[in-house]
Amino acid sequence: MNRRLLSVIVALVAVLVLFLLVVWVGGAINENLKLDETALLRFVFVGLGLLIVFVIYLLTRGSGAWDVGTREVVYMAIGAALYAVFSYLFNGTVFAVPSASQVALRPAIAIPMFFGYAFGPTVGFFSGAVGNMFGDALTGFGLSPQWSVGNGLVGMIAGMALLFSDKRKGMNVVLIISAVLAAIATIFWLLNPSLANMMFFAPEEGIFGDATITWFAALSAVIGFVLVLIVRFVFGQNVDVAAAVTWSMLGNLLGIGFAAISDIWINGFSPAVAIVGEFLPAAGPNLIFAAILVPILVAAYAAVQRRAGR
Amino acid sequence: MLITWRYRKRKSLIQSFDPRAWIIFYSCFMVSSVLFWDLRFLVPLLVIALVVVFTSGIKWREMYRAWLFIGGFVVFFSLLTFLTGRGGMEFYTEEHLITSLSAPFTIFGWRPTLNITVERTLYALSQLVRVFSLASMTILIPYSLNPAHYGITFHGLGLPDKIAYAMELTMRFIPTLGRDFQLTLDAQRARGYEIEKLRGGLIEQVRKLAPLIVPVTIQAIIGSEDIIDAMDLRAFGIGPRTWLGQLHYRRRDYVLIALAALLFIVSMFLSLFGGYGQLWVPDWALVWGGG
Repeated sequence: MNRRLLSVIVALVAVLVLFLLVVWVGGAINENLKLDETALLRFVFVGLGLLIVFVIYLLTRGSGAWDVGTREVVYMAIGAALYAVFSYLFNGTVFAVPSASQVALRPAIAIPMFFGYAFGPTVGFFSGAVGNMFGDALTGFGLSPQWSVGNGLVGMIAGMALLFSDKRKGMNVVLIISAVLAAIATIFWLLNPSLANMMFFAPEEGIFGDATITWFAALSAVIGFVLVLIVRFVFGQNVDVAAAVTWSMLGNLLGIGFAAISDIWINGFSPAVAIVGEFLPAAGPNLIFAAILVPILVAAYAAVQRRAGR
Repeated sequence: MLITWRYRKRKSLIQSFDPRAWIIFYSCFMVSSVLFWDLRFLVPLLVIALVVVFTSGIKWREMYRAWLFIGGFVVFFSLLTFLTGRGGMEFYTEEHLITSLSAPFTIFGWRPTLNITVERTLYALSQLVRVFSLASMTILIPYSLNPAHYGITFHGLGLPDKIAYAMELTMRFIPTLGRDFQLTLDAQRARGYEIEKLRGGLIEQVRKLAPLIVPVTIQAIIGSEDIIDAMDLRAFGIGPRTWLGQLHYRRRDYVLIALAALLFIVSMFLSLFGGYGQLWVPDWALVWGGG
């Protein structure tokens, strides 16, 4: 194994073990070392997310999908810059929908998904993570690094479609996993229908992220899933569009899920609050963007490729 | 319109340091501010930020747009927190009411009521101070980091060549793509596209964003072909990269890094062992609340 890679992994594991030790052993010695709901945990989850990325990379690095050449370096930069610019523009100016933990209704999420799918998991991860970081910096916020990693995971998983030489392979498995994830989240809502939608702000109506989640917002994951299903089967002939939407969906569910679930420890939310108040209203609308904007981008890029002969 | 990076060589505190040292300091500053909700710690951090801002030598004329945007954003968020008390719930369990304002009217039977409590006020104030000091440190970076040094800075911080170069390109692309977005928006507006009046259901509205997002994205990808060619012609990625600029640490840079490390360790220690990270509610403040 590559020695450098090994050392990175060892370092990440060591940091993680240290934190776990601090939490378990330290908590017994000093009350303050329990670490729950401390800001430090954000960085622990960043490490955890990076560890997940490294392990996935290790397991699949035989495939050429992770390779980074000149082309990928430039695409990484364009993806990240576009994501930053779009999230800046759509966060505060066009749709004024700020929210808890600074997650908003963001059409920009289509960018890491598309870049991941079109140019590979490395480009996807960089676009999502660095793009989110710079996007946060443009608005002056840099408080939630774990959401950057979550966004990176969205792009990375969307790009994992390239690990399969035949893109049809695995697509149905991805659909089933996504269906299960969307269903679990929706069941959480059915069991706790009266929780607040923390992503929704309407100051002129006196709603500050404390309104009960509407059925539409709560069902948006299911609606998004159905949309993706429709796109997948209506455009079934076009393997690129079908694979792009299904993998983007899985990326979105897992990536945003990672960030929302980490808020259980970071912000001290109960699992139901994290899933119903944060995950559903963030990931659900994202799925709708994935189902509509990603196919348009894939089709437009295919036209460019045909014209340029690449 | 997006903030354009307006780097100039200025005589200032921030530019007298090596950019690597400054990024290290900035990261430690960021982590420290994130660790605290206690005003007693946030105010010194704000003072550091303000010192850096006022010695930055950047004229108000050059950066007022960024300040207005970020100022508006920060005040809006703190006001939201103050009005609702949301977000701070995990930091305090009981609230001490100072006064309760009720609107003299009702909207469909609902009377808007504002409960002003000690905890909410302090929480909103802490949030304002915390985000403002972070934001003001962040805005300064594009104004005071030489674009020619982006790549070598990230490389010097330990990133591999390719990632460092990707970071450099990202920072350079952001203002350009912002301008492209504005051009595309204007071009589509000339054709009768109105982003302010997107009609239809949610799905229809999302679809109507495509004329904006797709041209900008595809144009960026096509335009990158020239950059890729230029990089390939210079054999990018074949061997270890050499950088045009050189950076050398001087004594003051080491001092800055040491200060950054000290700040980091002290904040970590205080928040872990001292238990100082939480919201600070002094006794004298409780007196207002009748507690």
